This record gives sequence, structure tokens and C-alpha cells, in this order.
Amino acid sequence: MEPSRDAHATLVDLLDRILDKGLVINADIIISVAGIPLLGVNLRAALAGMETMLKYGVMQAWDEKTRAWEREHRKKSLPSLVEGEEIILKMYGSYYYTKGIYAAWKPGYFYLTNKRLILHRQDFDEITFQIPLEGIKALIIKEEEHFVKGKKKQALYLIDKQDQAHRLSAVEVNQLKEDIEQRIEDMGLSLEENPVIPEFEDEQIAGSLTEGEEVTHRGKKVWYLAPAEGILQETWKTGHLYLTDKRLCWWYDFEKKLVFDVPVDRIVRVNTGMRKTSGLDGGKKEAVLDLLYKVDSTEKIASFAGNEINEWAEALDRIVSGKISKETETCPQCGKSAPAKKLLEEGCQSCGWVSPRLKKKIAQTALST
Amino acid sequence: MTEARYLYCIVEGNEEVTLGNIGIEGSSVYTIPCQNLCAVVHNCLPEPYKSEDKEKVKSWVTAHEKVVEVAWERFGTVLPLGFDTIIKGEEGIAPDENMKKWLKDDYENLRQKLAKLKDRAEFGVQVFWDPKIISEGLVETNPEIKKLGEEIKSKSKGLAYMYKQKLENLLKKEMEKEADRCFKNFYDQIKRCVDEIKVEKTRKAEEEKQMLMNLSCLLSREKSKILGEELEKVNNMEGFFVRFTGPWPPYSFV
Repeated sequence: MEPSRDAHATLVDLLDRILDKGLVINADIIISVAGIPLLGVNLRAALAGMETMLKYGVMQAWDEKTRAWEREHRKKSLPSLVEGEEIILKMYGSYYYTKGIYAAWKPGYFYLTNKRLILHRQDFDEITFQIPLEGIKALIIKEEEHFVKGKKKQALYLIDKQDQAHRLSAVEVNQLKEDIEQRIEDMGLSLEENPVIPEFEDEQIAGSLTEGEEVTHRGKKVWYLAPAEGILQETWKTGHLYLTDKRLCWWYDFEKKLVFDVPVDRIVRVNTGMRKTSGLDGGKKEAVLDLLYKVDSTEKIASFAGNEINEWAEALDRIVSGKISKETETCPQCGKSAPAKKLLEEGCQSCGWVSPRLKKKIAQTALST
Repeated sequence: MTEARYLYCIVEGNEEVTLGNIGIEGSSVYTIPCQNLCAVVHNCLPEPYKSEDKEKVKSWVTAHEKVVEVAWERFGTVLPLGFDTIIKGEEGIAPDENMKKWLKDDYENLRQKLAKLKDRAEFGVQVFWDPKIISEGLVETNPEIKKLGEEIKSKSKGLAYMYKQKLENLLKKEMEKEADRCFKNFYDQIKRCVDEIKVEKTRKAEEEKQMLMNLSCLLSREKSKILGEELEKVNNMEGFFVRFTGPWPPYSFV
């Protein structure tokens, strides 16, 4: 579902925010009554129907209880430390988290202790990333394109002793780096000089993206069944699949270019199945994803295989099914077509057919009035 | 002292610019830069805006929001203030001096907050249920309630009355339990899609519905699609309804 900002329906939400919230300033420089900032006190009284009371007494107690639970839940605002561990630096930042084909910057607070570097999400008391200081092999700062056009940002690449690169960002990257280095030096250890960053895969397609286009899913190696060309038979080729907010693209590793792309709204259906993929892995059966898409009015098929193929299928399926809800359906009684959602929620406009679920709902409201 | 500054929001930047006559009652809105921060303000009298006229208040609040949004679009990240935040001057100190001093003194704190909000927006999520549909479901599935219901049938009139009360109490308790369970489930489901959550007080809802949870969520705009999909699942459950609003300036996360 899409977030709405329909002016009438959301006025209450708007008032709630503007009257009760926002940055708070010390009272000595703002106009206040008897030391109490007067944010909207009079205003609220002027607006009818703004009670925060609950309709049923029972639920009120419950509401209090759940909010107490939630407060309790997030009281622990510090990551739990081991004995003798001390926090040296706290800084807001984020960690580029990748798991499966989904990747995103996860924000939180970095805590540098005398033992570890931790990224902690306060709200959920969750440690997103942590590494013992002796596990750090090298640190590199790199200027990167910010996804806001024309802006640059600095990222801190942390390379661990397993040669895995982790991408971090922070309010003051330089300070974070210096403080980690200082700690490591204090421990009598040293970092590798002039290290090389193992390349992050989505950097390679950055040049092939259109303005404002953003990669939402990327992952490990994906095989693509390249169509027959001239005397060449169709063959499985290895590369990487990227899903952006606009397209699904496949990057051919060997030639270092995009050889397949399809706008997401052209994807008709996604199927997966086990089948033999000659030339891929002997005669073994592999999970293959078949993507049915439209070019003009002809339907075409592209096939992919790889370890994460089921995750890809799920991600693509979500896109396809999201589209279906906007599509039309025919009424089972009279056959007239209408938007599927409207048919299900309001019934058929021409013959009066209603879905069983809606019928039940209507019956219930009739009973209660 | 005849002058004061009505403060809409704090943004990043050095520019001294005018945003036009878009403020409350058409006042001219401009920025006061200090170091790397700007205050977005209009000139006003050193007294709060108040009125008993609902329409007037609505138009003020809407204008306040409009200015914050214009600034948001133009400068990228905003720290919005609540309605009626007015910076005053003092004997021998102009309001602008007061404002700049505050920006300077609070610089680190404000920068951290801006960094946290970069590229993120606030979304409102409210989940409602229809207590009738839910309780009917419980009557059908909860063995204890079912058993009590069966027993009533075999009792005399007087006893049946007592049993009915017993049944109502049990149902209330089970509804609370169910609400508890749903709250925790939805909370967990939603938390996976957002960067920060604030649980707000629930409000009285219209008609037959009860508000089960009222959340403010902070997340990047592009992730709102994922959150939307998750909410769709809840909305499709029998007896549940979801309101999803936004993107709002991050009022709840400053």
C-alpha cells in the first residue's frame, strides 16, 4: 500500500505532529508562559474531536501497558559490554548491510571501546555490526558518489583479517578512523599500510544506470542463458543480476557490460523450477528462474540460475503481484470488467455481484446496527 | 522590544535567501545562516499565535507545514520545530543574536541530528481492528469461550445471566491478550522495514474501529515501498485496517 497525504484525512495526523512535536529549544530564548513553552495549548482546545482518550475503558489500560512494554523494551540504550570494556567514542553512523540479495545502509551509533568496534541500533537494542579491534587489518577512507546528484561522501572501508571489506559511514569519518587507529596502536598492534579495497560489485554498473536510478537488490553470481546468436548456440554465461527501482539488469562479467535489461513494468510473470542446465554443472538439476516479459506486444523469456535464485524469484514476484492489484478483472456473474480491487471491495457496479467476504462483512454490520 | 522571529525549522547551508511570502498569514520567510546551519524564520511580534477560530488555526498549521516542506525540498534535510516556536530578543540583544548564539552553542547536537535524518522521512502507521469481527473470531476459535458458550445453553435463566457476564469478562481478557499478541507481531514486522520507531498514544477511532497501534516511523523514502508491502499484509487480514501516511518532515525524531 502507498502512503497517503490526502489533505482532509490526514489533518489530524498533521496537527498531532506540528502541535506536539518538533525540535525543542531551551525555554530561555523562546516566548513562553511562566516558563512553560506554550506549543499549541490554546490551539488544541480550539480543535474539536482531538481527544487522545480511548473509546473503551478496557483498551485504555491495555494501551498504557503496551506502551510501558515498549519503553522497557528500548530502555537499554547501550550495547551490553563485557567486563573491563569501556566506551571511548560514540558517533552516529551507518553500516552497509548485505544479506542475501537485499542490501541497505543500516544506521545506528558506532561505539568504539577498548576491545571492539560496534554499530548499535538503539531503538531495537540490536548490534548490526561488530568486530574485535585485533580483527581489523586495514582502514581506508574513500570519496564516493552520494546518491544525491553531485554530492560526494566519505566512506570508511574496514578490511578484516579474513580480507572481507565492510563499508561504513559516520558523521566524522576521519575522527572515527583516527580513534580506531590510536586504540590499535595502544594495543601494540599495527594496521596494514596502503591496502587495496576489494571491489564492491555494484560499483561496476554505476556507469550504466540512468539518472536517479537506484539499485535495490544485488547479490552473488547469477547465470544467464544467453540467446543463440549466429552460429553460437544459446549458452549459460556468468555475471550479476541487479534490480533497480526501474529495471532488472544483468551484467556480463566477462565483457563488463549490461547485456540484458527489462523495465520492471514489462515483467509479466516469474516461474522457478528445477531443470537440467546443460553446460552449467554437468547433468545436475538446477533451480532456474524463467522471466516472462513483454517487448512491444510480443512476450519473451529470459532464464537465470544461481544460488540465490529463489530469493530473486521472491523479490520479482513481489513486483509482479504489486502490479496485478492495479489490473482489471471480470465480474464472475455478468462478465463486465472493472478494477480488481474495486470489484472485491465494492462489488460489481453493473450486476450487483459481491464477493463472499464482502457479503459476510455487510451481514455483520447489518447485524450490529 | 517589538520584534521576534517565528522559527519553522533548521536546515543545512550557508545561504541567506528569501523563500517568498509563504509563511503564516502570508509573511515573508527567509533564512538566517550561522556557520553551516540556517534558521528558517519570519519576522513577528513577540507574542504567540492564538485563536479560538478553528479555520484560522488550521490555516496557520497548514502554512507552518508548507514552509517546512518547501525548506525540506530546497535544502535536503530539515529539523522541524513545533508550531508557535518564537525566538525573542532581550534587553540590548536582538532576536537574531539570540538565534545565532543558540545555533552556535548547540552546533554539535544539531549536526548530529541532521546527520541522523539525512535522506529520511517520517511515516505514520496506524493499525485498527474491528472489535466485532475479532471477537466473533475468538468466540469461534477459543476453546474456553466456546465451552462457556455451550454451558450457557443448559443453564436456567438466572444462572445463564451470570454465565453471560462471566463470558463477557473472559472475552474482554482474551481480546486484550489478542491485542497484545497482534501489537507485538506487527511491531516486529514493521521494525524490520524501518530505521526508527516511536510508539504514540492511540487515539479514539471512528465508527466501529479501535486503534490498536499508532506509530511514527523513520525511514528512507525508497524503503517506504517495502514498508507498504508489509502493511498491505496486515491490511488484508480479516478485521484489520491500516492507515499509512507520509512522507512527513521528521517531527517525531528531533
